[in-house]
Parts: sequence; structure tokens; C-alpha cells
Amino acid sequence: MKRLFAILITVLLLAACRQGGPSGVAGTLLRGNEPLAQASVEIYLKADKDRSVQPFAVGSTDDEGRYRIELPPGRYFIIGKKRTETADGRPLMLMAECPANPVQVDRGLLQVAPFGLREMGRDGQLVPEPGTGLDGRVVFEGAGVKHAFVYVYTDRELNSVGPGYGAAVETGSDGAFHLDLPSGTFWLAARKRADGSRFGVPRPGDLNASFGPVTLRSGERIDYGEIALKRVSEERYRQKQAEGHFADTGTALTGRLRDSEGTPVAGVRVFAYLDSRMVGKPVHISDPSGGDGRFRLNLVRGGTWYLGARSAFGGPLEPGEWVGTWEGNADHHVEVPDGQVLDLGDFEVREVW
Amino acid sequence: MRGLLTILFLLLTLVPARALVLDRDTVWRGELSFSEPVEVPAGVTLRVEPGSRIRFQGSGLTVLGRVHAREAEFSGAAWTGLVLRGVGVDSLLADCRVSGAATGVRVESGAPRLEGLTVENNRIGIELVRKTDATVSGCRLLRNSRVGLMLKDGATAGVVDCTFEANGRYGAYIYKSKPRRFAGNTFRDEKVALMLSHYGSDPVIEGNCLTGNDTGVMVDRAARPRLVGNEISGNRVGLYCYRRSDPQVAGNRIRDNEIGVLVAYSSYPVLHGNDLADNRLAIRLEYQSIAWERQKGEAARRQESGRGAFGSRPRQTVGESERRAAVREGFIDARDNWWGDEATRRLVDLGADGNPDFIHDGRDQATFEEGGQNWPLDRVRFAPWRGEPVPFKADAGGNP
Repeated sequence: MKRLFAILITVLLLAACRQGGPSGVAGTLLRGNEPLAQASVEIYLKADKDRSVQPFAVGSTDDEGRYRIELPPGRYFIIGKKRTETADGRPLMLMAECPANPVQVDRGLLQVAPFGLREMGRDGQLVPEPGTGLDGRVVFEGAGVKHAFVYVYTDRELNSVGPGYGAAVETGSDGAFHLDLPSGTFWLAARKRADGSRFGVPRPGDLNASFGPVTLRSGERIDYGEIALKRVSEERYRQKQAEGHFADTGTALTGRLRDSEGTPVAGVRVFAYLDSRMVGKPVHISDPSGGDGRFRLNLVRGGTWYLGARSAFGGPLEPGEWVGTWEGNADHHVEVPDGQVLDLGDFEVREVW
Repeated sequence: MRGLLTILFLLLTLVPARALVLDRDTVWRGELSFSEPVEVPAGVTLRVEPGSRIRFQGSGLTVLGRVHAREAEFSGAAWTGLVLRGVGVDSLLADCRVSGAATGVRVESGAPRLEGLTVENNRIGIELVRKTDATVSGCRLLRNSRVGLMLKDGATAGVVDCTFEANGRYGAYIYKSKPRRFAGNTFRDEKVALMLSHYGSDPVIEGNCLTGNDTGVMVDRAARPRLVGNEISGNRVGLYCYRRSDPQVAGNRIRDNEIGVLVAYSSYPVLHGNDLADNRLAIRLEYQSIAWERQKGEAARRQESGRGAFGSRPRQTVGESERRAAVREGFIDARDNWWGDEATRRLVDLGADGNPDFIHDGRDQATFEEGGQNWPLDRVRFAPWRGEPVPFKADAGGNP
């Protein structure tokens, strides 16, 4: 009897030690040594060569920087991101790949070691090595282009997903730029947007060029010479649009954006998120609404989507801007059948002042 | 003209319903109507001849190249307006009328010149964004339903000698921007004539005339402009400092307002060398307490700014260190101002420790209630005062 009791206790203890419940990943995101709250955690099925697709799952960190995402058993790539702003209003993108990628989820929650996000942008993300860097001059039709931006990517494919660059500098009045970098292999892009902005999809009329790879050895400084920008054509822009967030897949939402008095509101985009908090980068973005307030939001698939609408792409709300959330459900979600176009009817937005 | 000049001379012609991209230098003359967006790409010049009347139906004109329009009229039904995107100083809109658009003229980056325009009955008259260095001079911004002129996104434009009248919410709104010059403008019949809001809005506002408005100048949310030599008279409120705003106010004539300067919610303006005579109340403090600021200011601001665009995301765009009150003594510094003949006589009688009736502060109302708690109202430090009127430079002609 005593032996039977001991076996029973052992079995119970083993059962308690086993990781039960749902499978997935859990961990903590940091910036420096501090927990990073309200950051996005994106889960991909493939390595970074194919990041232009939407994430398989998305979660976010709590006030302690912790995240917990339920996933079926499998092999995953974890990316941490956070879009924020500096004290002077400059957009700031924090990002990092989990050093443990790919992670293998089997049974229970896989505890992932904490990892820190780095600033993608003007400073801090790529630590230069002494005497190492790249110089050059951005030109268009032979003349130097001032206030163009030169972006440095550590991965060729990241180029297609926007602000995943490792460094960026603005050209001087003669188009010259100087980048202090660590040793390594880099892909670069130079862009001069007509509206002067640092971010956003290059539009027709903007100037654009991609170049590289450039390999730098420690202590080596390369003069790349002139980088000739080309104007983005309408055709190329439409082609890119058809491939990206705007692509028509057969699953879509339509509706009409209007103000509280029922007047159609033009120039407002509808954003679709997988995460109910609707933070960070949306998965899909509609074209701006037309003069009749009508919009169409193409989705990659049906399911549960959380919807917001605003007239700016991102950043803090500004006076004069239109903004709203889909109020068909309390948490702003809509269920979209796969392969169907669902008309939401009226979608109310309000002015911010 | 480069051998490729095309003259469109159409009389009430409706362009077919598709986007129109001008692929060569073009001149518009007479009356034209467009139902689809028109774009002037980079490298192309659009010239609009005097007397032309251009109408848009649900569309608008975007210029990436160069535009030169003088004495033309741009209007339409539910149209978006004119967009000048990255155009240079060689683009000019002069003496034109722009009406009925969502945004009459939107300037993104670049440095075009807008001279003598009449911009009326739009939602927003002129919007200057993305660090544009445009020059707006001698324009009239009238009856636009929201704002006459808006500067944001770090615009460094110059705005001089413009007239603002009867716009719906604001005459001019400066948001996180520092125009290189904002001078010689006239505002009247506005709800808020000039609004400066948010950290980073710290331009010099000089030699403007703001009369007959509900509120002449409103400074909000950590904006810190310098107001110099402005005429701020005959308004309900001359200057309204609200929510941690600390303008430097010097050499202005702030007269004949119901309230000359209204200070509220942890704002600490510095008022020196101004003419504050003949206001019904020269300075009034409301919900203004350094004790409240010390205990609750930061938390209140965090709560207010802690929501994202769609309502759920904690976000802090400006650090608390930038917004915290630099002056933490519980006094508004209003020394060295002229208060008027009669007021000065009363000050002489009362002395520096007196309670002048043209200032409403903690001497008149010891506390106010907020959040179920009483907080001491701050006081105004008015001594020493000036013994004679402050010379107003604009009286001598020219800008101060």
C-alpha cells in the first residue's frame, strides 16, 4: 500500500511538472535592459526571405514587456517591433529578430529567452566600427539631390517591407551622404519623396534607386560614387500596389465613410488588424475613400478583422484629421467570409481638433 | 517653350472621365472643367493664364512639376483642391481665387510662393505640411469652414501680411511647427484667431493684428512661442494660455479685451513690457495651481496622451521633462507691464502686496476644486510695474 501511494504521488508530480495547456511561445521584449511594453510580436512561418507576407500570428507585450502567443506545434520565426516617436516627434521604429530563430514549438509554452529591440532608423541600430563606412552622392539627371534619404538594409529582402532598415541618412545640399557602418554586407536604397516624407511607399513622381550589395571590411571606407535616382512611373507604382497591401484577392470589405451628419468623407483609409488593440502596422490598408466616401479593403483571407479608419498613414492624431473605428461590434471586429465581398454600409468617422 | 507647348483652349469642355497626366508643358486658358484628377508630373510646367476659370468635379489638381497661375479661379463641387508636392520656389500662385475644396491649397514640402490669393469657403483654406518652406504673403483666408491656414509637420513657411476672417474654428493653426516668419497678419471675427499647439510650436509671432475675435491667441499643450509687438485688442479673450503653455510675451498691446490674458492648467507665461491697459480684467487665472501641477500634472498628461489613433495604445510623443513646468513657484511673472493710468494709481495706493481688482488670482479666490480636492490658486507677480505707457513700435510705422 505504501509503495502504491509512492507511485501515485510520483505520477501526480510528473503530471504537474509536464507543460500542459495550449502550445505556443512566451517571453519578454526589452529595450536596453528595460522591459518594452506595448510592442508587437510577429510570428512568421518562414525565414526573413519571405517577410512580405503577413505574419502567421501577432501578439503584443504587456506593461512588463511580456508576451504569450498560442501556436500549434511547429517551427516559427519571432520578430519584435514597436513603432513610436522620439521626444522631438521623429518617428522611431524598434525592431529585432529573436536570436533563437527559428524556434520549435512542441507541447506547451516554449519559454523564449528575452531579447532586445534596436532602433531602426537614424541612429543607434548599427554600431559603426572605427574608420568603416560608405560615402557617395545621390543625383538625378546629373545634379545632386538634397534632402534625399539613403537607407541601409542588412538583408536584401527587408527592402520590400518598409522601415526595416538598419540606418538612414539625409543627403546634404549637394546630394552627398556619409554613412558610418560596421563591417558587413549591405543593400541600400536612396529615395527622394516629392512630399518630403521619410517613410511611405514611393509614389509616381518620387525618385528612387536601389543598389548593392556593398561589402565593407572593418576599417574600410568606400566611396561609392554617384547613385542615380530614377523617377517612379505610374506603371511601376500600380504593379507594386497590386502585389502589396492593396491587392485584390476576392475577399474584401466595402462601405462608405461618412461623418456624424451623414456626409461622405473622402481621403480616408480603412485599416485592418489581426490584433484587437489595433496597434502598430496594419495588415491591410485600403485606398483613400473617394468623393462619395466609398472604400474597398482587400483582404488576403476571410476571418476576424479589427477595423479602424483615419486620413493619415500613421503617427499621432493631428488636428483636422478624420478618424474612426468600426462600431458594428464593441471591439470593432468584423467577420468576413472567405472569398466574399462584405458590404459594411456606413462607417462613421469624426474630425480631430 | 521647349518645342512642346500645348495650348488647351476649351470652352466649358468636360475632360473624359479618366485621370489626366499632363505629359508636356501646358497652358490653360478660358474655362475648363475636369471630372478626374489632373496631375502635373515632375519636369512639366502648367501655366494658367489670367482670367481662366478652372472647375473640378470631385477631383483636383496635383503638381509635382511646376505651376504658374495668376489671376485665375479654381473652384468646383466636392473637389479635393490644389496639391503642390515638392515644388520649388519657381512655382507661383498669385492673385488667384480658390474656393469650395476640401483643402484649397495643400503644400507638401518644397518652397512655392502663394501671393495675394483669396482662399474662401473651403474646409481648410491653405495647409502647409512636411517641412515646407513655402512663402504665403498677402493672401486672404475667408470663411473656410474649419481653418484658414494650417501649418504642421515641421513647416518652416513664412506667412506675412495675410488677412484671416470668419473661418469656422481657427484663423491660423500652428501645430508642431516653427514658421520662419509669422508677421504683419490681420485676424478678425474668428472664434480662435491664432492657435499654437503642442511642443515644438515655438515660433516668433510678431507684429500681427488680432482684433474683434472671440479669442485672439491661444497657446496650448506645451507650445512656447514668443509673442512680440502684436496688437491684441477688442477680443473676448486676448491671450489664452492653456494646458502647460509657456509663451514669452513682450511688447504687445493687449487692450480693450474682456479678459486680457487668461491662464489655465499649469501654464506659466512670462509677460514683460506689454500694454495691458483698459481690459475689463487684465489677467485671470483658472484651474491654475502649482500644487496641482506637482501632484497631478504629469499623471493627467499621461492619461490624456495615452491613447493611440484607435483608442487603445499607450503612447507618449513628448517626454514629461519637456512638458514639466520650468517655473515651479506658483507665480505668473507679469512684472514690468503697463496697466493703464487709473490702474497704476490704484497700484500705487495698494503697493506690491495689494490685490488689484484688474487681476483675478489666488488673492481673490484662495482655492478651486478639482477631483474632489481643493487646490490653491496661483498668484500673479505684477510688481514692479511700469509708470508710463509702453511704446508700441507699430505706432511708429512698420513692423515692431
